[in-house]
Amino acid sequence: MPNTILDTIRQPLATAFASVAGNVYAYVPEAPMVPFVVMVPDSPYFELETLGKSQIRTKINIVISVAVAYNSNPASLDNLEQLVISVLKVIPAGYAVGTVDKPTVTQVGPSNVLVADIRVSTYYTQTN
Amino acid sequence: MATTVITGRDVTFTIGGNNFDAQATSATLIGEMTRETYQTLDGKSFKVTDNNFTFNVEMLADWGATGSLCEILWGVSESAPDTGINTVFTAASGAVFSFQVLPSWPSAGGTAPDAQTVSLSFQVIGVPSEAF
Repeated sequence: MPNTILDTIRQPLATAFASVAGNVYAYVPEAPMVPFVVMVPDSPYFELETLGKSQIRTKINIVISVAVAYNSNPASLDNLEQLVISVLKVIPAGYAVGTVDKPTVTQVGPSNVLVADIRVSTYYTQTN
Repeated sequence: MATTVITGRDVTFTIGGNNFDAQATSATLIGEMTRETYQTLDGKSFKVTDNNFTFNVEMLADWGATGSLCEILWGVSESAPDTGINTVFTAASGAVFSFQVLPSWPSAGGTAPDAQTVSLSFQVIGVPSEAF
């Protein structure tokens, strides 16, 4: 079995978020249930920063999108802030945490959600 | 002759037998000449009197990791600061430089949002031998 990015980076990150009050996805699901935390690729996704070609080693930039139901603005923002803080608290070692982008209203299926993106990066080495 | 392009990803190096590929983001071997100029009756004359090489490395810090390169560098700086360490630097396949460097203390720490990095400037002993 190859050590895929899903198995070694995104799924462990999702597992670390097990304690947060929301549905956690290591990939973008067809119909996410709010509140949710989902790992999506950032741009640039891969950055080849280390020397050598014998193994593929790459910096990986990931966006952790955190979303809550968008019903009333004050409550939604408060809910989002609490969820973002709870995610920040459990990001494991080895992940560089960048910025949290300003919340935006996004339509997911039939409903609006309030979403903020947390930018993180880490390093992946293909070992087999 | 076709254009040749080599990149930093063609570079590999070992210091004291330890491979730095996984952590190093930059490695540069730089040589400088001390060239004296003499004004003679025939015009200017030049003479190289010394050569000095440095080996500059940028790497991601790995303090605390198993087989930590930062800890190896710290240990050798502490125990044998005046002893040369065998270094093999491959600029690209077929261009290999061998030399000895003197230990250099790795830095520790960094800015909050970023991965910790270490900048090292090793003094090279003598002139590297090359295999082209």
